[in-house]
Amino acid sequence: MIQALLYLRLTSLKNHLVSTVRRMRHPRYLVGAIAGAAYFWFFFLRRVFLVSPGPTGAGVPALDAGAAAIPALMLFGMFTLFALFRLGAAWLAPSDRPGVAFTEAEIAFLFPAPVSRRTLIHFKLLSSQLTILLSSVLLTFLTGRGRFLGGNPLIHAVGWWVILSTLNLHTIGAAFTVTRLTEGGLSKARRQAVVTGLILLLIAAAGYAVWITAPAFPDEEGSPAALVQYAASVTNTGLLHWLLLPIKVVMGPFLAPDWREFFLALGPALLLLAAHYVWVLRSETSFEEASIAQAEKRSRLLAAARAGNFRLARGPARARREPFVLSPAGGRPELAFLWKNLLASPAFLSSRNFLIGAVLIAAGTNWLQHGDEGRRAALAAVAGMALFASIYILLLGPQLARQDLRGDLTHADILKTYPLQGWQVMLGEMLTPMAILTALLWLAILAAALALGPMPRFAGGLSPGVRSTVALCLAVIAPPLCLLQLMIPNAATLLFPSWAQTTRTRGGIDVMGQRMIFVAGQLVVILAALLPAAVLGVLLWFAAHWVLGGAGSTAVATAGVLGVVGLEIGLGLWWLGRRFDKFDLSGETVK
Amino acid sequence: MIEVLALNKRYGDFTAVRELSFAVQPGEVLGLVGPNGAGKTTTLRCLAGIIPANGGTVTIGGVNLAQDPVAAKRLLAFFPDEPRLFDYLTVRQHLAFVARIYGVTDHEALAGPLLEELEIADKADQLPGELSRGMKQKLAIACGLLHSPRVIFFDEPLTGLDPLGIRRMKDSIRQRAAGGAAIVLSSHLLHLLEEVCSHVLILKQGTKIAHGTLADVSAQFANGESGVSLEEVFIRATGGSES
Repeated sequence: MIQALLYLRLTSLKNHLVSTVRRMRHPRYLVGAIAGAAYFWFFFLRRVFLVSPGPTGAGVPALDAGAAAIPALMLFGMFTLFALFRLGAAWLAPSDRPGVAFTEAEIAFLFPAPVSRRTLIHFKLLSSQLTILLSSVLLTFLTGRGRFLGGNPLIHAVGWWVILSTLNLHTIGAAFTVTRLTEGGLSKARRQAVVTGLILLLIAAAGYAVWITAPAFPDEEGSPAALVQYAASVTNTGLLHWLLLPIKVVMGPFLAPDWREFFLALGPALLLLAAHYVWVLRSETSFEEASIAQAEKRSRLLAAARAGNFRLARGPARARREPFVLSPAGGRPELAFLWKNLLASPAFLSSRNFLIGAVLIAAGTNWLQHGDEGRRAALAAVAGMALFASIYILLLGPQLARQDLRGDLTHADILKTYPLQGWQVMLGEMLTPMAILTALLWLAILAAALALGPMPRFAGGLSPGVRSTVALCLAVIAPPLCLLQLMIPNAATLLFPSWAQTTRTRGGIDVMGQRMIFVAGQLVVILAALLPAAVLGVLLWFAAHWVLGGAGSTAVATAGVLGVVGLEIGLGLWWLGRRFDKFDLSGETVK
Repeated sequence: MIEVLALNKRYGDFTAVRELSFAVQPGEVLGLVGPNGAGKTTTLRCLAGIIPANGGTVTIGGVNLAQDPVAAKRLLAFFPDEPRLFDYLTVRQHLAFVARIYGVTDHEALAGPLLEELEIADKADQLPGELSRGMKQKLAIACGLLHSPRVIFFDEPLTGLDPLGIRRMKDSIRQRAAGGAAIVLSSHLLHLLEEVCSHVLILKQGTKIAHGTLADVSAQFANGESGVSLEEVFIRATGGSES
C-alpha cells in the first residue's frame, strides 16, 4: 500500500516540477526564474562552491571555549530559543489541530480507501521528508555563508535533516498526545495551565541553578574568549546542562567541526529521533476529524488568498464602523472607493490612531528635548529613524499597502460595469493606500522636524521658520508622491494581472524572481519619474534663494515639484484609465 | 432597448464571438444558450461593457456602448454566475457604496423595500462571509437593481441556488421583464428557458445558429415533427457536440 502512496507523492512531485519547467516557456516566468536563480547563486551558492573555506570553528556539542566558538554559541542560543518556542507552541496548541495534515484530495481518496491508520501516518511522515530534505539543502546554503562554523556542506545538510526531522516528529507526537489527553477529559485551559506552569518551573529551576553554580561573570575588559568560556561553563554545568541536553544532542551533528565529531554526535541524535518515531507510531489517536476540518480551513484560506484577499486569508472578517459618512449623491464617486477600501483596511489604521501617534511623537520629542545630554542625543537617533522610515514608506510602502486594484482584481468584472471612466475607478482605488501612506509619512516628517529642531549642528541652517516650511512642503508633496508611487504597481497589475496574483499566492524561484523584478522596477520607474521634478525643484530653489531666502525658495521649489508630479499623475491616470477600459482578465489565464 | 450588430470578439487567433447580431426589446427575455465554450459569457461581458469588443456595435437604450460607455452603463446591470461581493462591506454598506457610484439619491427609500422583497432586510448589518450562498446572490441582485436598470444581463443565474432560490430567481426575472426591462440571460438549463424566456439565441463556436421566439426556433429544428422537446431542438441545433 505504501508503494501506491509513494507513487502518488513522487508522481505529484514530478508533475509539479514538469509544470514548473513548462511554465518557463512564458517569458514572465523565465525572466523571474533567471532573476531568482541569479539571486540565489550570488548570495548563497557561490559562497558555498567557490569561496575557500574559512577557519574551522570549534566543536560545539560540548560548547568548548574559544573565540571561534562565538558564532556556534550564538547559533546554539538562537536555535535553543526557536526550539523552546516551537515545542512550547506544540504543547500549548489548540486540541483541534491535527498532528498530520492531509489535503482535501488526500482525504477524499485515502480516508475511505482500505488503508490502515499506521500507513497513513507513514505516508505523511514520508511526505514531510520531501519538504525536510529540501529545507535542509536550502538551510545548508544559507548557513554555508557562515563557514566559520566549521564542518562542511554535507555535515550541515545531514545536521539540518536531523534537527528538522526531530522537530517535525516532536510536533506530531505532541499534537497526538494533546488530542489523546483532551479525549481523556483534560480541558484546554487546564492543559495550558499545566504546560505553562511546567515551562515556568523549568525556567526558574534553570535560573536558580545558574545563580548557584555559575562562575563569576568576566569583568568588562574580558576578551570574547572569556565570554565564551563563561557561557560554556554555565550551559555545561548543573541543571542547565541536563535541561539543554536534548537540544545539544539534536544540534550536535550540525555543529560538528569534522567527520569524527560528526559521527560521534550522530549516534545520540539518531537515537533521539528513533525514540520520537516510536512515540508517534504508538500514539493511538484519532486524527481524521481534525484533519478534515484543517483541510477545509486551509482550502478556504487558500481560495481567499488566490482571490487577492490576504486579510481574509488571515482570519474571518468583522463588520466595522464606517470611516466617514458616504452620502449617496452629490460627491465624487472616487470617494466611494476610498470609503470602501478603508473599511477593508486593518482596524488599527484609523485617523484616531494616527492622531494618537502624532501626539505621542510630539510629547516624546518634547521630553527628549528637555532632558539631560543623553536624552537630547537620542533626538539624533529619532531623526535618523524618521528619515529611514520616510524612505522605507515611500519606496516600499506601495508594495505593502495593497488596498487598491490589486486587492480588487477579482471584482474587476463588477468594477467595469460601473458608470465611471476608467481613470475614475483607478484614482478611487488608489486613494486608500495613498491616504494610509501619506498619514505614515506625515508622522515621520513630524518626528524628523521636531527632533531636528534643537540640535546644535543644525541651528545655523535650519531656523524654526525654515524647518517649519520644509516640513510643511514635504507634507504637501507627500500625497502626490504616494499616488505616483502607487500608480506603478497598479499599472503592473493592469499589464500583468497574473503576475500580481501569483507573486502573492505561490512560491518558487520564478515567483521570487518576479517579486524582485517588481520591486526593482518600482524603484527604477519612480526614480525616473522624480528626476525631472527634482531637477526643476533644485533649479527653482537656487533661483529663488537670492530673492526669497530659505523658506521662500523652498516653497517655490515645492510648487515646481508639485507641478511636475501633478502633470505626471495626470498623464499616468489617463493612461491607467485607458488600460483599465481595455482590461480583460479573461485574456490573462492565471497560471 | 438592446441592439447588437456584427459583434466580434477575438483572443489572439481565437474568435470567441463572430458577427453576432440581435436585438432585445423592453419586456423581452432572451435566453443565450449553447455548448460549453460557445461564447455565451464572452457575449454577455461584451454587452455589459466589461471587455471591449473587437468589432461591431452594441447599443443600450439608444446609447452606443463604445462611444459613451458611462451613459450606457447607467442603464444596465450585470449579474455574474457567482455573486462578486466585497468581503468587508455589510449588506447595508454594499447598497450605500453602489448608490454613490450610480448616484442614486433616494437609495435608502429604495433599499428598504428591495431588501424586504429579497428577504434579506434582517441581514443588513452582516458581512458577505456571514451569508449563505443564496443570501449572497440576493444581495448581488439588490445591488444590481438599486439603480432601476432598464437592461439586465444574467450569467447562469441559477448557479448554486436551492429549489426555493431558483423559484424566486425565476419570479424576479419575470417580474423585471414585466416591468419593462430588457433581459438577456445565459444558461445551460433548458427548463429555465422554457419557463422564463420569450426568445432564445443559440450560439455555437461564437456563431449564431438560431434566434427567435421559442416557438420559432423549435419549428426551425423540428423537421416537421410535432412535440419536439427543447432539449432535442438544442441537440439538433448544436450538432450534439462542443466542436
